[in-house]
Amino acid sequence: MRTPELDWTHGESTLLVITCARCGNHWYLPQVHCPVCGSVNSDATPAAGGGLCVAVTRLHVTADGQDAPVRLALVELDEGPVVMGRVHDADLAPGDRAHVDFRLDGPNGVLVPSFAKEMPQKGSVS
Amino acid sequence: MTASLTGVGVTSFGRQPGPDSLEWQVDAATLALGDAGIDPDDVDAVIAGYSTVASHLMPANLFSERFGLRPATAFGMNVGGATGLAMLAQAARLVSVGAARHVLVVAGEDRASGQSRETSTRVLAQVGHAKYEVPLGGTVPAYYALLASRYLWTYGLEPDALASFPVQMRAHAARKLGSQFQKPITAEDVLASRPVAEPLRLLDCCPVSDGGAAFVVSAAPTDTRSLAIAGTGQAHQHQHLSALVPGSSGAAVAAQRALSEAGLTWDSVDVFGIYDSFSITVAMLLEEIGLTPPGRSGAYARAGAFEVDGRYPMNTHGGLLSYGHCGVGGGMAHVAEVATQLRHERGASQVAGCEVGYVHADGGVLSAHVGVVLRRGA
Repeated sequence: MRTPELDWTHGESTLLVITCARCGNHWYLPQVHCPVCGSVNSDATPAAGGGLCVAVTRLHVTADGQDAPVRLALVELDEGPVVMGRVHDADLAPGDRAHVDFRLDGPNGVLVPSFAKEMPQKGSVS
Repeated sequence: MTASLTGVGVTSFGRQPGPDSLEWQVDAATLALGDAGIDPDDVDAVIAGYSTVASHLMPANLFSERFGLRPATAFGMNVGGATGLAMLAQAARLVSVGAARHVLVVAGEDRASGQSRETSTRVLAQVGHAKYEVPLGGTVPAYYALLASRYLWTYGLEPDALASFPVQMRAHAARKLGSQFQKPITAEDVLASRPVAEPLRLLDCCPVSDGGAAFVVSAAPTDTRSLAIAGTGQAHQHQHLSALVPGSSGAAVAAQRALSEAGLTWDSVDVFGIYDSFSITVAMLLEEIGLTPPGRSGAYARAGAFEVDGRYPMNTHGGLLSYGHCGVGGGMAHVAEVATQLRHERGASQVAGCEVGYVHADGGVLSAHVGVVLRRGA
């Protein structure tokens, strides 16, 4: 039994990716057993934070009195799993490379993952 | 499996202040028992769906006392929007193993009038993950909007790709007594309606309604109007959007299990009731269960495939998008409509010569799936 690592839901600026120790399947939400092979053995690893934006929405009818619009995105991390986050970049669209940041946001003003378009790396060929 | 759908009852849906959840359930149950032609005394099992407004721990017991029933079996069920079909499936199991003769399945809710829109939105948003999604401030429309965004991007489509579904559902509802919305709309109206959670606009989203629905499921047909519950199938592969695999949500698995139990293929199915909480919901369900190619269901809708005389007559009562959505009862109205079609009692909107129907509902964010095959002639 490993000590679980802490992620943004505990106030740490981290997205954790869980990897099945038996079959190598990846997932994001806490699951006791690997949904593919059923193994109970898994490792939590911090994600690098980059991925492919696959969905965005601007929510105009919010709950809990949040100011509209609220922007949300789904990002498929380079490590595999899909993560939901806020968006702090109005230009972020599906198909863009995205990178995570962590901000105090959402209805409770707690630390949450928030995505923006990924800036090209220095020296990279664009 | 030997089980008959012997009675269906659906109230009008809409903003209809006055009755509480239990009163809608009583109305619907009265209609269903009358339709089946059986006495309340003959009911030996009651399955009741949850009401978010009543929020009672024991909905079947609460209903039974109020209605004046003392069933041998009673329980409530919660699998979100799939609850009505899941109750139907459990009722069919109860009668097919001899554990009951007549099961009353009931749901009803004053969802539009009994709570504020803010409360309704917040309660429903709890289908999101409590730690990993809800703190982001999403709502159910936002979750489905993310599915819609991903869908449109995946297939290179514009938002108008989904607009024909609300238009078709409204055209059906215009010919159905009791529907919440009857004024015809165009694709331009859908695209011009106010954004709720982009790319979804107001007319892409079902309303919140007051109303109720009920079924009677029996071990044997009661008359020639009784329908055979030929097959049921379910799949429960995830709860949260972040764990959903697009194109493999469980919809196809549930549908194939239902068809397999019925010993049928899609070629045999004449009339459909497919869950349409949002335009994107029905699009993704149709494509995953294999009725249209991926990314093409909207084009099928535009071409009239889901009209009464189309290739796949669907939601001919107007669906959740226009007949309305009172919670669990919302998905049950699809069953009542398909049953009415299979009995050849749908008048001007009758699907000619239909013999077999398929109904599919999902709960959560394409999380819980139930499919049911109904056949004329029990």
